[in-house]
Amino acid sequence: MGVSGGGGEKMNAEEAMKKFQDNGYEAWLSSRNAGVKNRVERKTLWVKVERDSIREAAEFLKNMADEYPHFSIISCSDEGEYMCLNYHFTLSYARRLQEFIVTLKVDVPKDDLRIDSIADIFPAIIYSEREIKEMAGVEFNGIPDDRHMFLTKDFPSGVYPWRRDETAPKETNKLYERWKNGA
Amino acid sequence: MAHEYELSIGPIHPALKEPIMIRVKVEGEEIVDVDVIASQNHRGIEWLGMNRNNAIQSIYLAERVCGICNFCHPSCLVMAVEEIADIEVPERAQYIRVIQGELERIHSHLLWAGVAAHELGFDTLLHYVWMVREKVMDVLELVNGNRVTKSIIMYGGVRRDIKEEHVEHIRKMLDYYRNAFSKLAKFFLEDKTMEKRTREIGILTERDAIELAAVGPTARASGIKKDVRQDFPYFAYPDFDIHAITPDELTGYTVGDVYDRIVVRLLEVKQSIDIIEEALNEMPSGEIIAEKKLVKLMAKIKASEGEAVARYEAPRGEDIHYVKLKKGFEPLYSWKVRAPTYINILSWRPMLVGYQIADIPIIAASIDPCMSCTNRIAVVKDGKERIFTSDYFHELSVKKTRRLMK
Repeated sequence: MGVSGGGGEKMNAEEAMKKFQDNGYEAWLSSRNAGVKNRVERKTLWVKVERDSIREAAEFLKNMADEYPHFSIISCSDEGEYMCLNYHFTLSYARRLQEFIVTLKVDVPKDDLRIDSIADIFPAIIYSEREIKEMAGVEFNGIPDDRHMFLTKDFPSGVYPWRRDETAPKETNKLYERWKNGA
Repeated sequence: MAHEYELSIGPIHPALKEPIMIRVKVEGEEIVDVDVIASQNHRGIEWLGMNRNNAIQSIYLAERVCGICNFCHPSCLVMAVEEIADIEVPERAQYIRVIQGELERIHSHLLWAGVAAHELGFDTLLHYVWMVREKVMDVLELVNGNRVTKSIIMYGGVRRDIKEEHVEHIRKMLDYYRNAFSKLAKFFLEDKTMEKRTREIGILTERDAIELAAVGPTARASGIKKDVRQDFPYFAYPDFDIHAITPDELTGYTVGDVYDRIVVRLLEVKQSIDIIEEALNEMPSGEIIAEKKLVKLMAKIKASEGEAVARYEAPRGEDIHYVKLKKGFEPLYSWKVRAPTYINILSWRPMLVGYQIADIPIIAASIDPCMSCTNRIAVVKDGKERIFTSDYFHELSVKKTRRLMK
């Protein structure tokens, strides 16, 4: 399609996996069936990306297939020593039964919570990077706009709702705790 | 040189009704720049699902992400958990899920059509469309016992069957909408004023739609044939011959303006009618849920570990939920909800720039924004911004009760 990016060829999930593997990435597929009379398999491609090579991986993904990757969301998970960021994209959209999900998985260590912004490569990612910054405390190097996205301006600094360590909000569960204790 | 002024629409504004702030820079009447301040109140739904609730309670929480799409979000969550815990859904339940999803699309698109008419100052049409919409609401009430927040989906199936006596009512509703369609199309697409206010207004080019990752009717109205039900189907959707609807099907060409977004939604109502009819004809008999005992189900989910991404074509566009479960951990270990408006508000900028202030309400409404699924309120009084806490509201509430008791 016409946008800068997507200059490659049409590919399915297996071919995309091979392409990532040939370029030194660890990649694997998961799948799930849908349909009753017409059973189809829907596939998700997971790709492990080192923190410092997120920009290369994003560029690689952008130019790999014959269409511009559709960005969905960044999700994150607190894994103790590090935060795992999942960049969810889809490829082969607008084609019946052919779309698949591509998720780039990046571990960012908690003692150095930074990663390069890829908002210049995929402009749609900006809201998500702002959200991860306020919710998980991950800094994005070179982010064009680093204002709060959803949280209030007076939200205490150093408190991150999506973390499971000492920075997680502590006071928020008061109502529930009271209810649970029968008060 | 003309002076540039900044105009704030929101956080609460009569033209938008939901809490979001659009800050536009204008030169005379023309919009030159747009900044969206995605409100200042966060309900913390994901946090609740990750800390307070167990996985079953989170279904009902997900239902409250948005009142209108109260089937989409729980469906997305349920699909992700079913994938991780490897729960197979009975065939009949897959068909019931399709019917429920399409009933929701009909009511949501009609609700939007009413709002769009209202934004243009055409309130007679608003009342007419919402009257028409009541038909599907009646059916929803009949089948589910509730008009909204129907609590119908469950891990491994659905909670209520569509019975023989319901089918007759649903078929009558389908006939009613087939007859109403030509009238609605005439009011929305042939009316001179409607056309003047929506044609060539708020254009989103195909290129911008791709780059800003637009989803749903917003993307399709710009000519991208993208629909999760067609590309990455779920439930029983692979059984149906679903194609993504673009405006050229009706008008012969695609402009990507507000008018085209109306066309797409109207055609999708028609498509939903056909899907429901086919589903009623083809629906297999059998069980509607894989595991009836909730304690057993809960134990199974608690013993599961893994991660999954689920996607669902909601009336406004694609919903996507990421879920991670950890063995022995009762709430969802990680949960990310992405509602369609989250990504579609990025398209407001290219849609608004170059148009007039008076076009803001209809352009903003044309993506069918749903703030409750995107966010989450600042109160501005006498030019000062104040943030109210729940404790403050609680205090106010207690005071009012005391006053009433006197």
